[in-house]
Amino acid sequence: MISLYVHIPFCASRCPYCDFATAPATSPLRARYLAALRAELEREGAALGRPRIGTAFFGGGTPSLLEPDEIAALAMTIRSSFDFAPDEVTFEANPATLDRARLEAWCALGATRISLGAQSFSARALTALGRTHRPEDIAPAVAAARSVGLAVNLDLIFGRPGETEAEWRADLDAAIAQAPEHVSAYPLELELDPSLEWEAVTNWPGGGWPTLERWRSNATVARPDDDAVADRYALTGTVLEAAGYAHYEIANWARPGQECRHNLVYWRNGEWLGVGGGAHSHLAGVRSHQPAGLLAYIARIEGGEGRIPDPGADPAVDTAILALRLSEGLDLDAYALRFGSTARARVDAALAPLDGMGMLERRGPSVALSERARFVASEVFVRLIPD
Amino acid sequence: MPDPRQRIRNFSVIAHVDHGKTTLSDRILELTGTVSLREMRDQLLDSMDLEREKGITIKARAVRMSWTKDGDSYELNLIDTPGHVDFNYEVSRSLAACEGAVLLVDASQGIEAQTLANAYLAVEQGLEVVAVINKVDLPSIDIGLVREDLRTTLGFKDEEVLLASGKTGLGVAEILNAVVERVPPPSGDPDAPLRALIFDSHYDQYKGVVAHVRIIDGSVAHGDRILLMATAKESELLELGVFAPDAVPIQRLATGEVGYVATGLKAVADCRVGDTLTLATRPAAAPLPGYRPAKPMVFAGFYPTSSEDYPALRDALEKLSLNDASLVYEPESSQALGFGFRAGFLGLLHMDIVQERLEREYDVDLIATSPSVEYRVITHGETEIAIDNPAHLPDPGTITEVKEPWMKVTIIVPQHYVGPIMDLAQNKRGVLMDMSYVDPTRAMLTYDMPLAEVIVDFYDQLKSRSQGYASLDYELREYRAADLVRLDILVASTVVDALSMIVHRERAMGIGRALTAKLRELIPRQMFDVPIQAAIGGKVIARETVKATRKDVLAKCYGGDITRKKKLLEKQKKGKKRMKMVGAVEIPQEAFLAVLRIKED
Repeated sequence: MISLYVHIPFCASRCPYCDFATAPATSPLRARYLAALRAELEREGAALGRPRIGTAFFGGGTPSLLEPDEIAALAMTIRSSFDFAPDEVTFEANPATLDRARLEAWCALGATRISLGAQSFSARALTALGRTHRPEDIAPAVAAARSVGLAVNLDLIFGRPGETEAEWRADLDAAIAQAPEHVSAYPLELELDPSLEWEAVTNWPGGGWPTLERWRSNATVARPDDDAVADRYALTGTVLEAAGYAHYEIANWARPGQECRHNLVYWRNGEWLGVGGGAHSHLAGVRSHQPAGLLAYIARIEGGEGRIPDPGADPAVDTAILALRLSEGLDLDAYALRFGSTARARVDAALAPLDGMGMLERRGPSVALSERARFVASEVFVRLIPD
Repeated sequence: MPDPRQRIRNFSVIAHVDHGKTTLSDRILELTGTVSLREMRDQLLDSMDLEREKGITIKARAVRMSWTKDGDSYELNLIDTPGHVDFNYEVSRSLAACEGAVLLVDASQGIEAQTLANAYLAVEQGLEVVAVINKVDLPSIDIGLVREDLRTTLGFKDEEVLLASGKTGLGVAEILNAVVERVPPPSGDPDAPLRALIFDSHYDQYKGVVAHVRIIDGSVAHGDRILLMATAKESELLELGVFAPDAVPIQRLATGEVGYVATGLKAVADCRVGDTLTLATRPAAAPLPGYRPAKPMVFAGFYPTSSEDYPALRDALEKLSLNDASLVYEPESSQALGFGFRAGFLGLLHMDIVQERLEREYDVDLIATSPSVEYRVITHGETEIAIDNPAHLPDPGTITEVKEPWMKVTIIVPQHYVGPIMDLAQNKRGVLMDMSYVDPTRAMLTYDMPLAEVIVDFYDQLKSRSQGYASLDYELREYRAADLVRLDILVASTVVDALSMIVHRERAMGIGRALTAKLRELIPRQMFDVPIQAAIGGKVIARETVKATRKDVLAKCYGGDITRKKKLLEKQKKGKKRMKMVGAVEIPQEAFLAVLRIKED
């Protein structure tokens, strides 16, 4: 059993902080892209022997922008190419682009869960983030999702340009008032590395790299400083936990039993197939990906080429880093069984200096980051990167 | 047959930095039908084969040229001189190999501090100096003002001074004619036992140490057994020859000639600049005057950034010192930095050159501690010890007196900037000894100043306060007693010995504050608070804290894309690897250099 990730890059407009592979909804390549996507699904389904799909996730971009017939065509391809009876199917949605016909098409595909890119309930903040939806779009979108029986995740971003603590506190309260099963809250990340993000920009004619760079450098100046962002993060934990959400991953909170199973597959370094531009896969111990540029992706699929292997993937290191993102942490005994005692010794040696600093919680064979360590997780992870 | 020595002229070109020495030398080589120095350097870099063919490294420190004047052909030997104040002694030995010098003065700059220093050196050696105003092709220059400089400060008559342009070639023939006319031919006794002055040496992997020599008395021939008088090393000479500009082996070098001798020795330290080369079978009665062993003035610790690079650093230093007799080093260890070396240099520039070569040519990532001078410490036991590492200064209670080297510092600066420069010198504990004018617009200030002050940020400050116009020269004057204390820096309550410095007691507080503040900026936030303290003998005089980092996370989930996150983590890891772990604290390399850039307010 594997998981399935499907990437829908199209968006009504580009959010200048986003690093995912995105493209304009009106792109002339849209039909060719969706055809390539279906071709890839068919080909991979056949190559993998029509595997059973445990969870599925339609991410973007803005999957909710797809027309009902486009969703139906995808659904048909998926059902014919895979043993598709997952216990969880999530799709990402922009609160402004959700309507009944589309919701029903997603439900027909088997959706059980919606991830709404709410980001904030403040009009000022949404403008500051370059979002096109308005605060008043969120509640109707949640209600519509509920009406067709979907579980709801709200995506929130904090540490925004010009944000105050009161504004963020109000966001948390407003989010809780919607009673979502799941909340993702990320600090705004503005690092721009051409070697990592160049590709996705090429999909957007006109507004190129300099615009993005300018926006990010302005936003960097206007956002709260690291200490204030750390305070917001601590506040997030306090408020959400008081409302019954458990902090199960660095940036994710859920009601008991409502954790995102698909994302847990990533964090437990399980196996999944990712299709579409910029999508990553992890199958049979091999990590690979597709190019983020639409044309490059389409050309690859039309030319019958496979995925690009990820250089530098190291299952032992990856597993340790990913597991430490989770509150369940890393089970060192299980880790030693999976990767050998040398790998375990490496992890032990990397983490040993942190004992006694209040950064680690050890429970039996497991080690996890303390609440305080989660926001300096990179300081811990960097120790796990081999020399 | 006339004495062949009458047709020989040995000369150097001397100038302040950037006054056009290299360009003019190239023109001279071109005009005499020799190849340009630059071309030879290119050849050297391009072709290792060439090096093997010739059996000797082409390092043209002295080039033989021919020049015809009034129908007579002359052999001219152009001896190159190092162009920096750190290499004063080397310059003096090169000049000692000549009878004349061409003194270049940039028409747009006039006389600078090193113009004077070089000119005085030449005069002290009894050289005939041909003054040349260079770069006369430049627009808006005042040749009259430069003539006045030369007249008032060095006593040249206007009609003696030549005009030239290395760029256009103007006046180059006149310079060569003046060298033939005014520079006397070499004297010396051809029948006396051999005395050859070594003015440079380098290591060649096939021939061993190659000495660049000027034959003062006697002669040397192929197959002779030679003796170096200062080091008492004897060997069979492997080859001798001249640079023209390629190395051309010849059978014999006679009195007055300049050339090279492949000694077969294994270390340049055995073949020191200034030493006298003679024949083992018929040694000279006394060596040539003026020899002194290279004396390091500035010291610093060199440590590999990561301890596994220690052997690489050791090998690199060993190789470098094969060719640089003035580089001295010995192993030392630091509690903070582990195993490394204490290295001694002729001056700050020399240190920079060595550090850069280690990093570039030998690819060694290293941390250099703040440079120090050599202190002489007299303890209660009445013994005097030399201390070149601040961390080794004995307990204050046992010290009777500490002496530090003082320099005679000469600064030439446009009148307009005299005020700010005097402020600077005073802040650096300078004592004004003399002030005069080289011309109506420029003053010459002479200071006595501790070397320790000269090596820390003085030159940069001098340049910035004079908008680049001030020039500097300095030489050792004497050791003087001073009220000096050791300032220690504690990071997370641990003394970082590599950051210790010896400072004047009155200035300790200011430096301590500035240094801790600077370190607070340079030391990145860690997972815990890091206190930084400055202390004298256990008494804390300044304190700062690097607050613990509270946010460092890549929280966004990229659809299972761990590759992106790992790339960022690897970048972070690389940054950390360039830092030195002191206890549990990561200290970046720049922190160890911060000491150099301290500005007290």
